[in-house]
Amino acid sequence: MTPDQQVQVQESIDHLFRHHAGQMVSVLCRIFGFGRIDMVEDAVQDSLIAAMRTWPFNGIPENPTAWLIQTAKNRLIDRLRRDGRSDSADDEFDVATSASEKPVYFPDEIAEDQLRMTFACCHPSIPPDSQVALTLKIVGGFSVPEIASAYLASEEAVAKMLTRAKARLRGSGIVLDIPVADEITSRLDAVLKVLYLMFNEGYGASGGDELVRRDLCFEAIRLVDILAKHPMTASPKVHAVAALFMFQASRLPARTDHAGELVLLSDQDRSLWDRDLIGRAIRHMRLSADGIEISTFHLEAEIAAAHTLSPDYASTDWRRILECYTSLQQHHFSKIAELNRIVVLSQIDGPEAALAALEDLARLDGLKSHNLFHITRGQLLADLDRSDEAKVAFMRALDLTRNTAVRRFVESRLEKL
Amino acid sequence: MQNYLLLLHEEPMDYSQFSPEQIQAVIEEYVAWRHKIEGEGKYVGGEKLKDEGGKHLTGGSGGLRVTDGPYTEAKEVIGGYFAISAANYDEAVETASGCPHLKYGGRIELREIEPTH
Repeated sequence: MTPDQQVQVQESIDHLFRHHAGQMVSVLCRIFGFGRIDMVEDAVQDSLIAAMRTWPFNGIPENPTAWLIQTAKNRLIDRLRRDGRSDSADDEFDVATSASEKPVYFPDEIAEDQLRMTFACCHPSIPPDSQVALTLKIVGGFSVPEIASAYLASEEAVAKMLTRAKARLRGSGIVLDIPVADEITSRLDAVLKVLYLMFNEGYGASGGDELVRRDLCFEAIRLVDILAKHPMTASPKVHAVAALFMFQASRLPARTDHAGELVLLSDQDRSLWDRDLIGRAIRHMRLSADGIEISTFHLEAEIAAAHTLSPDYASTDWRRILECYTSLQQHHFSKIAELNRIVVLSQIDGPEAALAALEDLARLDGLKSHNLFHITRGQLLADLDRSDEAKVAFMRALDLTRNTAVRRFVESRLEKL
Repeated sequence: MQNYLLLLHEEPMDYSQFSPEQIQAVIEEYVAWRHKIEGEGKYVGGEKLKDEGGKHLTGGSGGLRVTDGPYTEAKEVIGGYFAISAANYDEAVETASGCPHLKYGGRIELREIEPTH
């Protein structure tokens, strides 16, 4: 078994049921039609419960996937018969029933069904925030409470958002398919954007349940992996996104210490970084270079690679990273990326020059109400031994921070002054 | 060694809000428990009783009476059983106490099976 496969096996055992839930909904919606998605979701839940009720006694079946899909499918057929949909005028139903004896589902087929469903969930008719939640729920098998905890939203709000998004999809007459020809580029971009949001929701320190947020990162990786493997969707840009996610996620094991406190990149134990994931990232990075387009994902992947592939913090190629940030800002200016660029600048030109650039930046709208601005400022002031001013900056950052891990991090900076 | 029967009593409940992760966790706990007692050579068997249906039969002077149940009337039902082997009741209790059924609010009735010889 290659390291690549080992990682995948480990991940799939960790979240077998969550993944099965997402796979089953995708497969069954293809068979029974997207219009029956609520019925399909109920049948999938029933099937998982049936497994929970019987497997403890009978043992885990030889092919759990086939068992679960077949159980859900039987429930659906029963339900449709009860509802009086068994008249032969219903073509969809005939297809579903005649296919009901099919015992084997090939992994490639399931992946393709998930791909179709991902495109549906990222359909332009629904707002981006709902696209992420919908993808997590339908394709990822995440529960409403899990999504709510990742987003620090109430379960009611998430449930309502999902219901509304599903209604919109049904209303738009969506067909479950992989877009082709002139549509593929824009639809694929929309999917990548959703996966990017999903990954960052998990990766960024915005609050919420730490474990679920980590799962969000790996769900985004799982889905981008499907895109990267399918001939219709694999593209240099998709590989760049895969490389970016994998380089970033490889550092997760070192990002918090035993007490759950955040550890800065400069202080991380690099031996804890996930070597297998880094190996996969490098392979995607190579494939991402097979084209003429340099997307923002390419630049971000290169920054992540420069950080991850450096043997230690001191020998990081800061100049290359700065170049990438500068190009990124030309593509699409972002205040947060500008803060990151300033941190890199302080590594090259020293904290004084970086602080001057930061004060320049302070004129930008809204930046002063962002905790990262004040954390960066506090850090630069501390590097310049201007402790009193650093203290004021960190205090201001605390006022603006609700995430407990980040709060503790800022407090530890304050103590060190 | 004697054989003991674990009758798993439970209150029928609504699982519709269980997340896939929770469901997997429950199954993993049962699998772990079963592997453990199989490894110790104490596992004899087990079967799930179907949730739906069930009949009550009574005979006697009034003749045969068949009613639907237990779900229509009883709050608590037998969901299934396990059979284990143990040297004595103390050991049987120890083995049964690890059964995840207890963790999820169920009740276990432990009975020694009368040997046939």
